[in-house]
Amino acid sequence: MKGFDLLAILLNPEFGRMLVHGLALTLVIFVCSWLLAMSLALLLLTLRLTPSTLVQRAVAAYVSYHRNVPTLVQLMLWYFGIASLLPDNVQGWLSEHSAEALFSIIALGLCQAAYFSEDLRSGLRSIPDGQAEAARALGHGFVGSMRHVLMPQAIRNAVPALVNHSVSLFKNSSLAMAIGVVELTHAVKEIESQTFRAFESYLVATVLYLAISLLIMAGGAWLGRRYSVAGAK
Amino acid sequence: MITFSNVNKWYGDYRALTDINAEVKKGEVVVVCGPSGSGKSTLIRTVNRLEEIKSGQLLFDGHDIQAPMSSQQLNQLRSRIGFVFQSFNLFPHLSVLENIMLSPMKVRGVKRADAKSRAMQLLERVGLAAKAESYPAQLSGGQQQRVAIARALAMDPPAMLFDEPTSALDPEMVGEVLAVMRSLAKDGMTMMCVTHEMNFAREVADQVWFMDAGCILETAAPDTFFRSPQHPRAQRFLSDLRSH
Amino acid sequence: MTFVLDLYGILRDNWLLLLIGPYPNGPLGGIACTLILSVLGIALAFPLSVLLALTRLSTNRLLNWPATALVYVVRGVPLLMVILWVYFLVPLLIGRNVSGFTTMLCTLVIYEGAYLSEVVRAGILALPRGQMEAARALGHSYLGAMWSVILPQALYNMLPSMLSQFVSTIKETTLGYVINVQELTFAANQINNQLLTKPFHVFLILAVSYFVVCWTLTQWAQWLERRIAKKRRGLVAPKSSAKARAAVLEAQLDN
Repeated sequence: MKGFDLLAILLNPEFGRMLVHGLALTLVIFVCSWLLAMSLALLLLTLRLTPSTLVQRAVAAYVSYHRNVPTLVQLMLWYFGIASLLPDNVQGWLSEHSAEALFSIIALGLCQAAYFSEDLRSGLRSIPDGQAEAARALGHGFVGSMRHVLMPQAIRNAVPALVNHSVSLFKNSSLAMAIGVVELTHAVKEIESQTFRAFESYLVATVLYLAISLLIMAGGAWLGRRYSVAGAK
Repeated sequence: MITFSNVNKWYGDYRALTDINAEVKKGEVVVVCGPSGSGKSTLIRTVNRLEEIKSGQLLFDGHDIQAPMSSQQLNQLRSRIGFVFQSFNLFPHLSVLENIMLSPMKVRGVKRADAKSRAMQLLERVGLAAKAESYPAQLSGGQQQRVAIARALAMDPPAMLFDEPTSALDPEMVGEVLAVMRSLAKDGMTMMCVTHEMNFAREVADQVWFMDAGCILETAAPDTFFRSPQHPRAQRFLSDLRSH
Repeated sequence: MTFVLDLYGILRDNWLLLLIGPYPNGPLGGIACTLILSVLGIALAFPLSVLLALTRLSTNRLLNWPATALVYVVRGVPLLMVILWVYFLVPLLIGRNVSGFTTMLCTLVIYEGAYLSEVVRAGILALPRGQMEAARALGHSYLGAMWSVILPQALYNMLPSMLSQFVSTIKETTLGYVINVQELTFAANQINNQLLTKPFHVFLILAVSYFVVCWTLTQWAQWLERRIAKKRRGLVAPKSSAKARAAVLEAQLDN
């Protein structure tokens, strides 16, 4: 062991740049896939509320697939499998425009959409029946009841689960390493293989991941408090 | 105002309502009472179509509420029927004032300022103007139910339906809710109440309907009903009540 | 149609590799390795999780804080990072190199230990406080009460959640691919690297295999949850009381 020397990593311009790039890429993947996941989850929830049993079953199948197949395998299926089915010129364009990151965002986003939609659905189901009845009795239509009475409560109920799954999504960004994206974990492994300072390199990444995860959890707790139903136990 | 003609409701072999023929005239207060499971809640919930009927006709202010119609028509009709639930069902994520303002604004298109002043008026009427910015969870049961009544009144309904409004309340809070209901009756509101509060019925009701097993077994003026009920089941019901 | 034939062809040629890996010409791999890794992982994680849950519930700060810190760190750091740490630290700690399988196993034990401890903790906290109070009133020590009264109930109630964690463990074994553990994902990648022309088919087979295993286990967990809920409501007579009733009846007949 060469003795603990954190600064050798942090102050070295080349490694510093690798770390910053890695972190930036991690954050980009996280934010983009989160936005994709949330919008898709809202769509899935809406579809699930349609009266068509076929559509409901399709959504259930979507959720079931993404919850039972490991995320890494989903990523591989997209990047190695589906990419190969695309026409050649599209494949060419993609490989010039960071296909790996793009497919990571797609795979992670689609996967988390399943979890987010289930969280929202549970949030909706935990609302007492009387709420919907009261809304209807006052003359609100289906859309009106959803918009003003049910969805606001559903989202509030779902916040803890949504925050947990957001942290999972953030951590899953590291899986992109398996298809060659140089996000934070990959960057740190590169640094380690060049400097043999495993402890210091891994420590930097660990601290960064922890800090951001805790930030997300704290942010979620703050959101939960700010929008909580005042006075509720 | 509310007319039941040969109303029936059943699921499979179970008859929830059998041959209901009755009328609530404009300005009348009708109390529906009976043992649990008698169908009184089901009956009152058919009036704003929270329950469907299988046969017969139900008219509210001349409209056939159970006829097939578009959801917009049903929503508009419902907005004209005031309904107060046993479990209040206030919207917990909105303040008291917002609870009352929401439906006039979103269902009727009333402007925010008008909705707000009307809501404050109604809160004064039920004695809760000071609680306008509070949230439902911060209120007692009696206060919540009074807000629920104000919320229903905000839509200016020609009639109000009460489904066991005081059954979920602690005894000391029953009085404040009944006081609001009494004042509504005095002002000439057409009311149909499912309730166990016999004193209230005696003071305020024009008619008492006694129900058991899905049928209206007796209809009478309160004095007649409480002093000398005709139907043996009604007699048994009243003597059970008195023995407590 | 050729698509289905291609799938069948790949399966027919490679089913053994997918099932047990290069064994006997190498270590046990494929689905067998995945399942062994998952079962061992969760079995060894289980006592660790109970220990962690109990230390987190203790009021002693010396016990509570390190345990809470460990759980939060594991929850906040990706599994891949934990793998990297274990890969680096374990050879240092025991002085010699370890196989990918062992590394993966240690990682799973730590990672699942932390997550499972949250499940156990939730199970213990969900029991009415009266249970512990009654046990203490009867003279049990805190740990004694935990062992005989609280844990049996909490763990039984949490069986469906623990089964879900097992399913998560199976999904986590896929990361062994990154450190060359010969589990199912690794086997599939080997096949793909040989065939080169049918990646979609290979990875589809891979996805479907995991789906079948995980979905079956999830269904079982849901069935268990329904059964436990019924039992709690007294609708399903436990086997032991049926036996007791039979014994009482027999005794009455003898008289």
